[in-house]
Amino acid sequence: MIVIKPKKYFEVCIEAELTPELATKSLEDVKKFRVYYGNRVVELGELFEVEKIGEEKKLVLEGDFSRVKWIGARMVDGEIVVKGSVGANCGAFMKGGRIVIEGNADDWLGIEMAGGEIIVKGNAANLVGCAYYGDAVGMTAGKIIIEGNAGNYIGEKMNGGEIIIKGNAGDFVGTEMRAGVIEIHGSCGFVGGDMRGGEIRIKGSFDLLPSFRKTEKGWVGDVNVKGEGIIKSL
Amino acid sequence: MLWIKNGIVIDPKNKIKAEKMDIFVKNGKIVPEREVKKEECKVIDASGKLVVAGGVDMHAHIAGSKINTGRTMRPEEMRVVRNIAGKFRATVGRVLLTAPAIGYEYAKMGYTTSFEAAQPPIGALHTHEELDAIPMIDKAALPVFGNWHLVFKCIEEKNLEKLKALIAWAIERSKGFGVKVVNPGGVEAWMYGGNVKSLDDQVPGFNVTPREIITMLIKANEELGLPHSVHLHCNNLGVPGNFQTTIESIKLAKGFSNSKRQILHVTHVQFNAYAGSSWRDAASGAAEIAKVVNSMDNVTIDMGQPIFGHATAMTGDAPFQFTLHKLTGARWSNKDTEVETGAGIVPLVYLPNNPVHALQWAIGLELGLLVDSNKVALTTDYPNGGPFTEYPYVMAMLMSRKMREGELSRVNAYVQKTTGLASIDVEKTLYEVINMTRSLPAKILGLENKGHLGIGADADIAIYNLNPLETDTSKDFEKVYKAFKSAEYTIKAGEIISRNGEIVKEVFGRTFWVDARKRVDMEAVMGDIKDYFQYYSVQLRNYGVEERWIKRPERLEVV
Amino acid sequence: MEDVVCTFCGSVCDDGEFDAEKKKVKKFCRLGSAKFSEKERIKAPMVDGKEVSYETAIEKAAEILANAKKPLLYGWASTANEAIRLGVIIAEKLRGVYDQCASVCHAPGTLAVIEEGLPGATLGSVKNRADLVIFWGANPAEAHPRHGMRYSISAKGLLIKDRKQRKVIVVDVRPTKTAKMADLFVQVKPGYDYAVISALRAILSGNADVLPSEVGGVPKEKLLQLAEMMKNAKYGAIFYGLGVTQSRGRDRNVENAIKLIQLLNRTTRWVIWPMRGHYNVVGAGEVPAWEVGYQYAIDFSRGYPRFSPAEFSAVEVLKRKDCDAALIVASDPAAHFPAAAVKHLKQIPVIQIDPFPNMTTLLAKVVIPSAVYGIEAEGTAYRMDGIPLRVKKILETSYWTDERILEEILKRVEKLKG
Repeated sequence: MIVIKPKKYFEVCIEAELTPELATKSLEDVKKFRVYYGNRVVELGELFEVEKIGEEKKLVLEGDFSRVKWIGARMVDGEIVVKGSVGANCGAFMKGGRIVIEGNADDWLGIEMAGGEIIVKGNAANLVGCAYYGDAVGMTAGKIIIEGNAGNYIGEKMNGGEIIIKGNAGDFVGTEMRAGVIEIHGSCGFVGGDMRGGEIRIKGSFDLLPSFRKTEKGWVGDVNVKGEGIIKSL
Repeated sequence: MLWIKNGIVIDPKNKIKAEKMDIFVKNGKIVPEREVKKEECKVIDASGKLVVAGGVDMHAHIAGSKINTGRTMRPEEMRVVRNIAGKFRATVGRVLLTAPAIGYEYAKMGYTTSFEAAQPPIGALHTHEELDAIPMIDKAALPVFGNWHLVFKCIEEKNLEKLKALIAWAIERSKGFGVKVVNPGGVEAWMYGGNVKSLDDQVPGFNVTPREIITMLIKANEELGLPHSVHLHCNNLGVPGNFQTTIESIKLAKGFSNSKRQILHVTHVQFNAYAGSSWRDAASGAAEIAKVVNSMDNVTIDMGQPIFGHATAMTGDAPFQFTLHKLTGARWSNKDTEVETGAGIVPLVYLPNNPVHALQWAIGLELGLLVDSNKVALTTDYPNGGPFTEYPYVMAMLMSRKMREGELSRVNAYVQKTTGLASIDVEKTLYEVINMTRSLPAKILGLENKGHLGIGADADIAIYNLNPLETDTSKDFEKVYKAFKSAEYTIKAGEIISRNGEIVKEVFGRTFWVDARKRVDMEAVMGDIKDYFQYYSVQLRNYGVEERWIKRPERLEVV
Repeated sequence: MEDVVCTFCGSVCDDGEFDAEKKKVKKFCRLGSAKFSEKERIKAPMVDGKEVSYETAIEKAAEILANAKKPLLYGWASTANEAIRLGVIIAEKLRGVYDQCASVCHAPGTLAVIEEGLPGATLGSVKNRADLVIFWGANPAEAHPRHGMRYSISAKGLLIKDRKQRKVIVVDVRPTKTAKMADLFVQVKPGYDYAVISALRAILSGNADVLPSEVGGVPKEKLLQLAEMMKNAKYGAIFYGLGVTQSRGRDRNVENAIKLIQLLNRTTRWVIWPMRGHYNVVGAGEVPAWEVGYQYAIDFSRGYPRFSPAEFSAVEVLKRKDCDAALIVASDPAAHFPAAAVKHLKQIPVIQIDPFPNMTTLLAKVVIPSAVYGIEAEGTAYRMDGIPLRVKKILETSYWTDERILEEILKRVEKLKG
């Protein structure tokens, strides 16, 4: 297990593609891991206190990581625990393993997730489990659980997997979704635009689009794309 | 001064067939040995290497509004990183490329001239800004005439003098190079939601037909004596059965002649070479077209070869682009442009196991193989067919039956019964393929100092790690492909700009444009132009590009 | 001087008549006239409030930018392409961030183009052919005063010889000045444009039966009427504005509208286009697109361009405190950005290049006054529909152009960066 703590105040954001793979390296190698501090390439050890405790494939990030981006990008196994908030693009293109964020997450959580689990104890921001700019497919597998609230754009172009938001969400939940399940335990805004398949379950209130047909299964649509997605009450 | 020593030169224009020869360069030109001081020359030892003129891409979509909208639409294309910023610019792009990337990639491959295939006249300044942003190559743009109301009016009136004056005015205002015609009449029909289906359909709102548009533009072009001929993107592009329209269009060249070059160039013919009546029974019309082209001595074509992988369809053929959007469900951009033209963009992917894509791929190759090498230039209609960086793939395929057999075994078997590709024995020689990529395109465009290594030619030279005297291009296609993918040396105007696929120096080329104003009486058409400008949304005074706005303009005057 | 090109709004009218004696422009609207009349200028270059030479200010600017870990280069929409190109190249050299005004205006339209493409036309096509024009969340009567008479409302063209041959519809959250000039006004409940567009698509694809009796404040009958008018138009145009891009829904609003246009084109002809604000905001996006592949929110930290509006739009960069220096060209973020973003802008060294003093001048460490394009300097700008126009130099000045200033900054940055 590697424990990482910020050493100082960061003048600009950091981009650090830290994955549990790092825990298999020696402490020296971990300290030398290269991260971007704005346009400077620096060693992890210059900006963070790094400790190695045992061989568990786990990273513990202690402190405020809200301006550290790309944590857990492309990880395939192991665990990352962030004891604080985390920056944008956390868990991007993740294939397996687990990320637990005790604070809040920033935009673009779990981009095109293909496996594994992300748990956010606080709130998430915009763009949860979505497809990246110009890509055709979003999340395909895995599970994202947000204990608090989320912003706009949830599970867009989803083709598998599960997103559960215990609080409220904003607009554009499951836009162009093809498969998978999204659950909103609170309320949200526009849901299921151009949806073709998959299921969205909502407990609270939401803005139903006019292009959904009421059936016993729930609201089926989006008729504008001859979709058979289902929106129902939770 | 440069002394390229002991290279094996292939120069079809000057009938040099793989001869060991020295090439001397001074002040950016190829000069005789006696004009250089050998001691002061930078010497390049080209022993055992192929030395040819820099490649000439006579039809590519490299600069202008539709290219830029294509980039904007496709961030997934722009995410491929080619060069990290340092001594040179950062470059990115998968098939669509940024302007710096276009220049660098051409240079790495040994290409030194490229022509933007379709420039909307009112958007000419944008085209030139982008051309100016492309490093390395010499360039030019072809403004489009086939759907321009002003052109229709001259043809309606059957007034050849007016049409000539209009062309001269238009090419000067757009700082363009020649007369490009895209789906004549069809783009105007698209303004009403339609298209034209035959050469004799009437263009809505005007008393003209595509046949008349093409024929009269050829007449005007020839009387004006422009360096390039009419450059035609035929009607019915992309429609099964369209090969008939293409043949009919080609035959419009009958009766015209020009001692220097063709009088009609038909472009990316692959997209216009389909037999059959629908996509279910589509087949190749390449053999029929090849027969006609070979039988005529005043028509040239270029291939429009599809390359498996990503591509982006972008043309002035707006109605076709909408059809493609409906067929594929892909994203679609469109730009109806004043009273001049239109444009459309749709992302594409060519998959080898898709019967239609395999058919298109096979047809492109058929055309390249069956048409005489002095009548077919090598293009992919970048980015419609695919990347220009895969020209070496096309070159290697044309020269090797074995390579084609390997490819045929992995593509959809639909091509076996719908094209003759599998049974074509032809293996073009290196001499022929160099002709198709250098001398011929330069000749087609009317560029006397390009595409060859004779005395007086621009010193645009490519040296490849390939010994033509020892290479069996039929067997060693891997080696051939690799060699042409990155030139050992690319020389532009006498400066070494690329070495073994790495950029070593950044230069900026010239923008050629044609000035034919002395051949006409501009007054013949100015009244009509002034009058028609009421239908424009800009003032006549603000229309056009001044030479001083272009970085390195080079005016080719027609006297 | 005749046929002067206006450099205020995206209409870029090019029929102005400038009287050099009186220093006034005839024919331009009140917005353009104001731009062309004498205004307070930044007198001289300044560093820390003290007047210095251009060379000194430029030296200081280059030094600040070259030493920054993440410099933000923002603005660009009110300057010419020649300057914008240098800005992009400098941002690349500095490995900083390039962003432009669209990120707080019409960027949602660009995101929609990425999703669906842009089925559009030039303004002349609309003038000549459009028998139905819809202003959706746009109010040209106030923001683009001559747009209607030149291109879209009373403008006459090839097929539209009379105002009566064209129908104008305004769709907005309240009756605007433009609505008064329209033939039909459709009032939408704020935040429900997205739903209304979905409803129109449903009607036009034969699914009107699914609709409830009212969508987004619009009764079903009105939606049916609107859809019918759109279906029967021979050539329709939707012009959309900030009412749609800067309200709930943003990029998905525009994307939905584009899908509606795609559907309409199967039976008739329709186009859609944004009502761009600044005279060269289009250039501020087109130039970086051809240079580095994207229109805005571009980061060069890794030595190559990366596009991510959620991270690299100027407001996002400032809110996350993700920049340590800023170069602001022809813009006023201090006045227009949200408080959290302006807060960080006050903490970092700011370099401003602008002809006119504004709120940002007050917090700039280095201020470099420049010539006004279209009056004191010549350059290329792209009208809202992408048509390139050359703006003119009609008065002499001793102010340096943005182009010249940036050229000098680039030279020094290249030296400092090695």
